[in-house]
Amino acid sequence: MIGCLRRISAVAGNTFLEAVRQKVFAVLLVFALVLIGGANYFTEFSFQEQFKFLKDLGYAAISLTGLLVGLLGAAQLIPGEIERRTILTALCRPLRRWEFVVGKYFGLTTYLALMVVIMALAVWGVLGWKEGQFLRAEGLDSEAAAAIRAEAMDPRLLQAVLLVGAKLAVVAALAVFFSTIATSTTFVMAMTLLVYLIGHLQSVAREQWLETGEVTRWTVRIFLAGVALLVPDFNLYNLIDEIVAGNVVVWRTTLEVLGYSGVYIGVLLAAAACMFEGRDI
Amino acid sequence: MGWFRGRVLALEGLEMEVQKGEVFGLLGPNGSGKSTAMKMILGLLRPTSGSAEVCGFRAGTIAARRQIGFLPENPYFPIFLSGAELVRYYGRLSGLGGAGLEKRVKELLELVRLGGEAGKRPLRTYSKGMLQRAGLAGALVGDPEILMLDEPTAGVDPAGSREIRDLILELKARGKTVIFSSHLLEQVEDVADRVIILHRGKKLREGRLEDLLTRKNEWEVKVQGLPEGDRQELLAWMKKKGGQVVREGAPRERLEDYFLRSLPEETRR
Repeated sequence: MIGCLRRISAVAGNTFLEAVRQKVFAVLLVFALVLIGGANYFTEFSFQEQFKFLKDLGYAAISLTGLLVGLLGAAQLIPGEIERRTILTALCRPLRRWEFVVGKYFGLTTYLALMVVIMALAVWGVLGWKEGQFLRAEGLDSEAAAAIRAEAMDPRLLQAVLLVGAKLAVVAALAVFFSTIATSTTFVMAMTLLVYLIGHLQSVAREQWLETGEVTRWTVRIFLAGVALLVPDFNLYNLIDEIVAGNVVVWRTTLEVLGYSGVYIGVLLAAAACMFEGRDI
Repeated sequence: MGWFRGRVLALEGLEMEVQKGEVFGLLGPNGSGKSTAMKMILGLLRPTSGSAEVCGFRAGTIAARRQIGFLPENPYFPIFLSGAELVRYYGRLSGLGGAGLEKRVKELLELVRLGGEAGKRPLRTYSKGMLQRAGLAGALVGDPEILMLDEPTAGVDPAGSREIRDLILELKARGKTVIFSSHLLEQVEDVADRVIILHRGKKLREGRLEDLLTRKNEWEVKVQGLPEGDRQELLAWMKKKGGQVVREGAPRERLEDYFLRSLPEETRR
């Protein structure tokens, strides 16, 4: 067991190191941080609108940058190693293939988590800065000051960060799954992006399949069932927008979405490991 | 091979056995199946039929792979790592860790002359010879019984090539089994005990170099310091006895030896 964990952590550590040393990811991170920081200079709205704008833009930047890094990183995980043939020197060792897949996934998600944390801290930093600017304004009564503090340092933003992280972790698991069957990085990116987009329509497919009864053709029903069962429902992560809009999202719902993400990740990694097991290198 | 592209039979009816402590050469032109045979032994490819065993374990299993250290044909290493990081990574993949691994990394980098600052440099700054040496250290990190080297000297300069040859001999002296492929037949001749010759996936010949290369009906003597008169006399005597002199004259040094001797001492090392 210790040997197994050691091998997985070796692959994960190496994947993380590779991601850290990739200039393109660092550039994306800097770009996101500039975007988050630059949003502070939009001052033409009321303080509520300004805070909402900052949160909206901040979380959009985290999502988009994370998605790009997840796609690019995961696309390179296995097809990239096969193309560069570095996989030969790893899999010829006493390393099980599923350990390689799981290690690769954890390496990438650790890097994604680090990026999300850095960008979330930047968003909170900008919100705090804005809060300071508003609080220093003259003629501010205590009620208005309390409202500004509540907008700026909303603890629900932690829920949004967790949900963004979970969404990116599911995208990374999808990409890892496709990378175990693909021979090119382009295929992995295209398929992952496609499933990500279909995932936003998954709830519609599920509804059509289970509830409306409008679809009678069995081929269409099978297709809808396939989409409903196999594709993760990415609409669940729209809770992030609710939180940013200031609406209450209970922790129980957040934890349910996190649990749903965990199950999908587990299933996708198990499927990826099975597909990779029989593959000739 | 991919959709609609059919299949290629890379190896057919190959039977071979390598003894413990032997240096075994896989020879053959490009596409003869050398690398495929190695990949099957490593479990990276699965044969459509037949089987292989490594030290009593089915090829490709974890127990079998634990016995093998592999150096691929080209330096397929993660170039964002340094030499030391590469050996450490492979050590951890082999199940090593802690102070024992650090000691082993240091020892191996010294063995392949990548100790000190050289080991801290990124692999992307290494020459081909340095990369192969780093790869060798990586192959040795798990202290395997068998070392499998696919074209270990391809693209390496003569000095580096000589180093790798010496290293193979050193490993043999330590009781390790070495299986290697090479196009440099002189080098194979220097180090291999036995060879197999493959062509289009089939075995053409197999045997001990001594048996394959010795011309049993010829006899060779190397003499030093014999005066010209005595040499002529000896030649005449041999002809008189019915011998046919096939080749006679001053022996030539091998170009590799001459080249290496011409280099300054520090470059040779």
